[in-house]
Amino acid sequence: MIRRLAALVLAVLIAVFVVSAGANGAPLTALALGFALIAAAIAGELSERARLPRVTGYLLFGMICGPYLGNIITRPMARELQLINGLAVVLIAFIAGLEMNFSRLRGRLRAMLELGGVAIAVMYVVLFAALWLAWPWLGIAGELAGVQKVAVVLLLTTVVASFSPTVTIALIAESRASGPLSELTLAVVILADLLLIFCFTLTMQLVAYAFGGLREVGVFASLTWEIFGSFAFGAMAGALFAFYLRHVGREIAVALLGLCALIAGVGAELHLEPLLAALAAGLVVENIAPPRGDVLKDAAERGALPVLVVFFAAAGASLQLDALATIGGIALALSALRMALIWVACRAGNAYARIDPKVGRLVWMGLVSQAGVTLGLTMIVAAKYPGWGTTMQTLMVSLIAIHQLIGPVLFRAALARAGEIGKMDAGVTERDRAFDAEPLHAD
Amino acid sequence: MRVFRTHAALGLRPLTAPVMLFIPLGVLLGQNVLGIISANALAHLDIVISVGLATLGVFIGIAAGREGKQPTRLLAASTIEAGITIAVVSAAVLVLLGIWSMPIELPMLVVALALGVCASASAAPSVEAGDAAVRIVAARVADLDDVMPILLGGFVLSLAGDRTESPFAATALTVGVGLATGLCGWLLVERSEGAERGVFVLGALALLAGAPAYLGLSPLLGGMAAGFFWVIAPGQCDVIVARELRKGQHPLIVLLLIIAGARLLPSLAGVWLFAPYVVFRFAGKVLGGWTASRLAPGVAPSDLGAYLIPPGVIGIAFALNLHQVAGAAAAPLVFAATAGAIACEALAIAVAPAVDRA
Repeated sequence: MIRRLAALVLAVLIAVFVVSAGANGAPLTALALGFALIAAAIAGELSERARLPRVTGYLLFGMICGPYLGNIITRPMARELQLINGLAVVLIAFIAGLEMNFSRLRGRLRAMLELGGVAIAVMYVVLFAALWLAWPWLGIAGELAGVQKVAVVLLLTTVVASFSPTVTIALIAESRASGPLSELTLAVVILADLLLIFCFTLTMQLVAYAFGGLREVGVFASLTWEIFGSFAFGAMAGALFAFYLRHVGREIAVALLGLCALIAGVGAELHLEPLLAALAAGLVVENIAPPRGDVLKDAAERGALPVLVVFFAAAGASLQLDALATIGGIALALSALRMALIWVACRAGNAYARIDPKVGRLVWMGLVSQAGVTLGLTMIVAAKYPGWGTTMQTLMVSLIAIHQLIGPVLFRAALARAGEIGKMDAGVTERDRAFDAEPLHAD
Repeated sequence: MRVFRTHAALGLRPLTAPVMLFIPLGVLLGQNVLGIISANALAHLDIVISVGLATLGVFIGIAAGREGKQPTRLLAASTIEAGITIAVVSAAVLVLLGIWSMPIELPMLVVALALGVCASASAAPSVEAGDAAVRIVAARVADLDDVMPILLGGFVLSLAGDRTESPFAATALTVGVGLATGLCGWLLVERSEGAERGVFVLGALALLAGAPAYLGLSPLLGGMAAGFFWVIAPGQCDVIVARELRKGQHPLIVLLLIIAGARLLPSLAGVWLFAPYVVFRFAGKVLGGWTASRLAPGVAPSDLGAYLIPPGVIGIAFALNLHQVAGAAAAPLVFAATAGAIACEALAIAVAPAVDRA
C-alpha cells in the first residue's frame, strides 16, 4: 500500500506542476485522463479496504480533487473528463445487456415485471401527491396553478422518481456480483428507465401544451423514434458485433470500445437513446449470437474498468457542492422522502409479486442511486425552461449529489448481505444451477 | 521477396505497409474530400496523436534500454545513420529554403531540423526465424535509429513553441516529466494484476501523453524516457508495459495514419518541401546506411541503407506533434512528411536489398 500512496502523491505532484506551468488553452484531455485514471483507481482501492464500494472511492476522489474543493482537477479538466460520459454510459448498458440471458431469466421474468411495475406505480402516485402538497415550499415557481402546476409537478415527479441504471450496473460489474438480487435490481432499474423515458417524453409534451409551446411533431412519433428506433439501431449494431466476434475475433477490447463509440456518436446524431441502443446490442449478442468462451467477458472487463474509473471520477468532480450548500435542507428532506417511498413501494411490489422476502427486502437498497440519466433529463428541462427549469436543475443536482454518495454504499451492503459479491466469476453452469435451485417466488 | 515488397507498397498487405493504405483512407475521409472527419472531429482526435506519440516513445525507450544493457555497437551505428540522414536532409532544406525565399511562418532552422527528424525514422523490416543476418541487423538498426532523432525532436519542438525557457531546459523538463511518470507507473504496475494493471498502464500512458502535450513539449521524448526507466528499474515493468501496450498498438497506429491523411492540406510550400524531402532522405539513408554498416557486424555496405528506406510512422507522428505545438504554420511540414512517407515507401520497391533480391 505504501507504493500505491507514493504513486498517488507523485501523480498529484505531476498534475499540480504541469497545470501550473502549462499555457491556457493547451490540450488537457490526456492529462486529465491520466491523472484521473491513476489517482481514482488508487482511491477506489482504498475505499474497498474500508469496505465501501470502489465506485464511492472514485466519486469521493473526484469530489475532493474537483474544482469545488481541492481544485487539482480544475474546471477545464473536469469538462474534458465529461467527454468520456457518453462512451461510459453506452459501455455500461452494453454490459447490462450481456448479463440478461432470456433463457435463464424466463422463469423469473413475470415476478420481475410485477415487482417493477407495482413499485414504480406506487412511487409515482405517492410522490406526485407529496410534491403537490409541498409545492409552495420547494421554491420552484410556487405561483403556478391549474394545468401548468400539474404539468410541472408531474415533470418533477418523473425526474425525482428516476433511478440510475449506470450505478447499478457498474456496482454489479465492479463487485463481480451475481445472483437473484443483482438480476432483480437490474431488471427493475432498466424497466424503470424505459418507463422514465416514456413518462418524461409525455410530460414534456404536457408541459409544452400547458405553457403554449407545443410543436407539430406528435408525441407518439417522437416516442416511437426514441424507444423503438434506439432498439432497432442497437440490435443492428449488436448483430454486426456478433458477426465480428464470430468471424474475426481479434482485438476484441478495442473493437468493443469502437462499437460503444459508434453507438454513442450515431445515437446522439440521430436523437436516439444511446442507453437503450447499447442495451439492445448487448441483448442481441448474449441471446442470439453468444460468443464462445470468455473472450467477450474478459474484453468487457478490461475495457470497462478504465472507463468506469474515469466516468465516476468525472461525476464526482462535477458535483456542484455549492448547490448543495444553497438548498441542502430542501434536498435532504426530499431525499429522505424519496428513500422512504422507495422502501414502501418495494414492499408493496414484493407483496404483490410474492418475491422471496430474503431477496425482496433488499431490493430497495439498489434503487437509491441517481446519476447521469437524471442529470441529463434536468439539463433538457433547464435548457428549455430557463426560469423554473434552472431552479429545478439546482434542486436535482443537490439530490443527485446526495444519492450518488449514499446509493452505492447501500447497494453494496445489500449485495454483501445477499452473499452475491464475487459470484460472477463462478462458471455459468454453476450459476444457473444455483439460481434454478433458488426461485424468486416465496412459494 | 520483391513481390512481397511490391504488394506492401500497393497496400495489399496493410500490416507490412500501413502507410500506403491508411493515409489515403484518411485523405478520403478528411475535410477536403468526403468531410466525414471534420475539423471538429480532428480537434477531438488530438488526444490520439499524443497517446500514439507516447506509446511509440515507450517502445523505443524500452528497445534502447535493452540494447544499452548489452555490449553492442548497434546503438552507435544507428545513431550515426540517423545523424547523417538528419544532416543531409536538414542541410539541403536549409540551403533550398534560402534560395527559394519561400513564405513559411516557422523559422527556417526549425523547418530544416524538423524535416531532418521526420526523415531519419525507418520502419523495421519484419523478421522471422531463418532470415538472413543482414535483415536481423537492419531491423535492430531501424528500431534504434529513432533514439537520437527523438532527443533532437524534443529540442526542435521547444524551439517551435512559445515556451520561455531555453530549449535545453525544455528538453530536460520533458525528460524529467517522463522519468517522474515512469517512476509513478513502476510503483503501480509491478504490484498489480489483471484489469487493474491495465488501468495503471493506461493511466501512466495518458499522463505521459498529456503532461508534455499540455506543456507544449514532446510526448515522444517523455515516453522514451519512461520506457528507458522501466528497463533499468528492478523487476519486469518493461515486459508488462510492452505486453499491455501491444494490445492497442495496431489500432493506435492506424488511427494516427488516418488522422495524418485527414490533416493533409496541400499548399505550395508543402509541395515544394515534398520533393527535396524524398530525394535527400533517400540520399541520407543510403549514405547513413553505408557508414553505419562499418560498425554493424556482417552487413554489406549497400544493403543496410536499402533496408532503411521504408519510412514507418514515427516521422509522421513527429510532424503531427509539431502541428500540435506550432499550429497551422506546420501544415506544409505535415504535408511533406506524410506525402513523403508514401513516396519513400514506393521508392523502397525499386531498391530492394541484394539479399531479398536473391
